[in-house]
Amino acid sequence: MTQLIAIERVAKRYLTSSGAVDALADVSLSVGDGEFCTIIGPSGCGKSTVLGMLGGLVQPDTGRVLIAGEAVTGPDPARVATVFQDPGLFPWRTALDNVAFGLELQGVPRERRRRIAGDLLGPLGLKDFAAKYPRELSGGMRQRVAIGRALAIDTRILLMDEPFGALDEQTRMLMGDWLLDIWRRTSKTVIFVTHSLQEALALSTRVVVMTARPGRVKTVLPLDLPYPRSMESVEVVSLRAKLWHEIRRESLRAMSEA
Amino acid sequence: MSVTVVAIRMLLLIGLLLAWEVGARLANPLLYVPPTAVVPAVRELLALRSYPDLPAHLGLTVREIALAYALAVGAGLGIGFLLAMNRTFGRAWGPILAALYAVPAVVWYPSLMLFFGLDAASKIAFGFLLGFFPIALAVLAGIRQVNPQLVTVATAFGARPAAIFVKVLLPAMLFTLVGGLRTGLALSVVGVIVGEILGSRAGLGSLINHAYGLFRTADYVALVLLTLVLVVASDAGASLLERRARRWTA
Repeated sequence: MTQLIAIERVAKRYLTSSGAVDALADVSLSVGDGEFCTIIGPSGCGKSTVLGMLGGLVQPDTGRVLIAGEAVTGPDPARVATVFQDPGLFPWRTALDNVAFGLELQGVPRERRRRIAGDLLGPLGLKDFAAKYPRELSGGMRQRVAIGRALAIDTRILLMDEPFGALDEQTRMLMGDWLLDIWRRTSKTVIFVTHSLQEALALSTRVVVMTARPGRVKTVLPLDLPYPRSMESVEVVSLRAKLWHEIRRESLRAMSEA
Repeated sequence: MSVTVVAIRMLLLIGLLLAWEVGARLANPLLYVPPTAVVPAVRELLALRSYPDLPAHLGLTVREIALAYALAVGAGLGIGFLLAMNRTFGRAWGPILAALYAVPAVVWYPSLMLFFGLDAASKIAFGFLLGFFPIALAVLAGIRQVNPQLVTVATAFGARPAAIFVKVLLPAMLFTLVGGLRTGLALSVVGVIVGEILGSRAGLGSLINHAYGLFRTADYVALVLLTLVLVVASDAGASLLERRARRWTA
């Protein structure tokens, strides 16, 4: 697998009103083309900061972030699309026009971008909701619109920052299956941030465990298992125990600091 | 709107008019001008018999309002966005603006007459002053209401500042902004007419003053009704604009 993303010794410190906070300290990570790489770790470990750097929204204080060998200097919608935890849909746009937003920014003509967005609504399970506004949609549907918006600009890299974090467990599991299906059909590279062991084990080709703040890479766990994965299989259960062992101490540390 | 609401409204209006008629006749018809006396006065007014030069006065008032409002919109949007975009500047000036808005604007009017004279300029200045604040403050309030997540999303999808302004900030704040523009128009109208009533040689307000001063109470009420029509018409125009704007963002 060829390397697509390289994060090289990045660090980030935020200045807040209550002083400086070290979000990331010396994080290095390399992700191959077509991988489904999940980043997991306790709250505040800088997972979102890593995604922000890949998306060009956050600049590292030290170190560099490279995509296909080029340093990331700002948002690059030609290569990277992001799905945020808060879907951030535009309330004055219909589901269809929300999905078409990125294409609109790129100057794709109205008819064409509506066709592209319309074709995406089917697999998103939103076929009958094209003309609905976000307030008329359920939480899961809104997040699917946000995913559609990211898929519409057809980038090689898809960043997902706890996209299912606000959804109930059943919806989460269904959305996970659905995402897996999309990933396998499009062979995109996905960087997926989550709190959920279950999600990490069901979806990823590799799990990156981060430490409590300041975030470092603690362990990288390759998951060389076929899809779809049964959560009850012996391998998954033992991997789950291993993963929990890695995360537990960091979560405890984060909890005692908070 | 349901038929019931319209019917109740009609009944209320008829009841009010009846009460007015009966009350005015029982008291002093000269002071309280019953509707039956207003109708002929309105007819006289519109036929240009009571005030033959009404069109010229009305025209002047409308021009004053248009100019005052145009200035209020320009300055309100300009200064509002300037303060909204520059955080430090906005935080320094915001409270001062709000405090000035809280002062009853009519206290400035004497000095406006001193600065701008008795003619149109002082009315335009007063209409501008009244219309300016709600517009500028609506811009400030509107920008504050924009969900920052939407700006982050747009940035991530490659939006430049101009696109963020047009595709995120404007639509997100439109409701508040149009509300401010509408209030601004109503207040510009009020400013111009109050200015004319307080002291002028021409315009609708000066006619009101004239009729009132000469105790031509029926003519006075007719002029007030005409003013009412002017205010309602301008607000109807503004609400039309509001609906347009909403269609534009969709």
